[in-house]
Amino acid sequence: MPHPNDEDLALSRRAASGDSGAFALLVEKYERPLRSFLARTFGADVADDIAQDAFLKAWLAAGQYDGRARYSTWLTRIAWRCRLDMLRRQRTRPVEDGTVDHGPPASTEVEDMLARLSESERAALVLCEGHGWTHVEAAEMLKMPLGTLKSTVARAKARCRALWEGTEHG
Amino acid sequence: MADDFELFLASALQPDERLPDRQFVRRVQARIAFEEQLSAHRRYLVAGFVQQLFGLAVVAGGLWWVSRAAPVGSWFLESPAAGLGILLTIFLFLIAVLSARSGPVSAPRPPL
Repeated sequence: MPHPNDEDLALSRRAASGDSGAFALLVEKYERPLRSFLARTFGADVADDIAQDAFLKAWLAAGQYDGRARYSTWLTRIAWRCRLDMLRRQRTRPVEDGTVDHGPPASTEVEDMLARLSESERAALVLCEGHGWTHVEAAEMLKMPLGTLKSTVARAKARCRALWEGTEHG
Repeated sequence: MADDFELFLASALQPDERLPDRQFVRRVQARIAFEEQLSAHRRYLVAGFVQQLFGLAVVAGGLWWVSRAAPVGSWFLESPAAGLGILLTIFLFLIAVLSARSGPVSAPRPPL
């Protein structure tokens, strides 16, 4: 029975040998969840830049993908590092004042909630609650200890719940 | 069991349902092509620089070797200013020739 990552591994290997068509298939397959995650976490204004950087790095490091983790896990980890590099270059603090656009319109309610969280809280919450990743996978992507990830998700969720209950839903 | 809030959160945070964005895919491909051109351009410049450095070192070695020959050495001792002038002229000529050979190289343009 083929391994679930076999197809991506084969495409990545072809990309490593210079097959840009194979890599385009990977971009086509993963741009939607990646850009959605990045837009929700960092804001739509920087999401595409980070996504492009991440795909470029994935192309350059295509030979390093070994198929043990899911391709999307590997890619999200690269994107997270790209964001950290971007922040290091800008030498600014992560935006936490809620002035950024958090991606495709879900509801202003969610945008308000996300705007009150830190970037790592948003990232952990979006990955685990929105994209269905397990805590273990999300911890791996965000390079966080599992315990820290779990408490980050719980904290973010509790803050969102408090806001949600404070509105007409409470 | 998931309550209303959890259902709301999950549906609000899930990736948006849409077809693949082919324009984005093309942008990524253009960026990759640009980075590859840039990297080839850098390799070309470094190779050219090493080649020129090597050429200059060979010429300098040759001149030093010639200047050690007895008749040339004695002529240098008699008129060191003229000797230095000749060496300088040869060097400038070589630099001009090597720079002209490599020609103006334009860097690749970033994708729009």
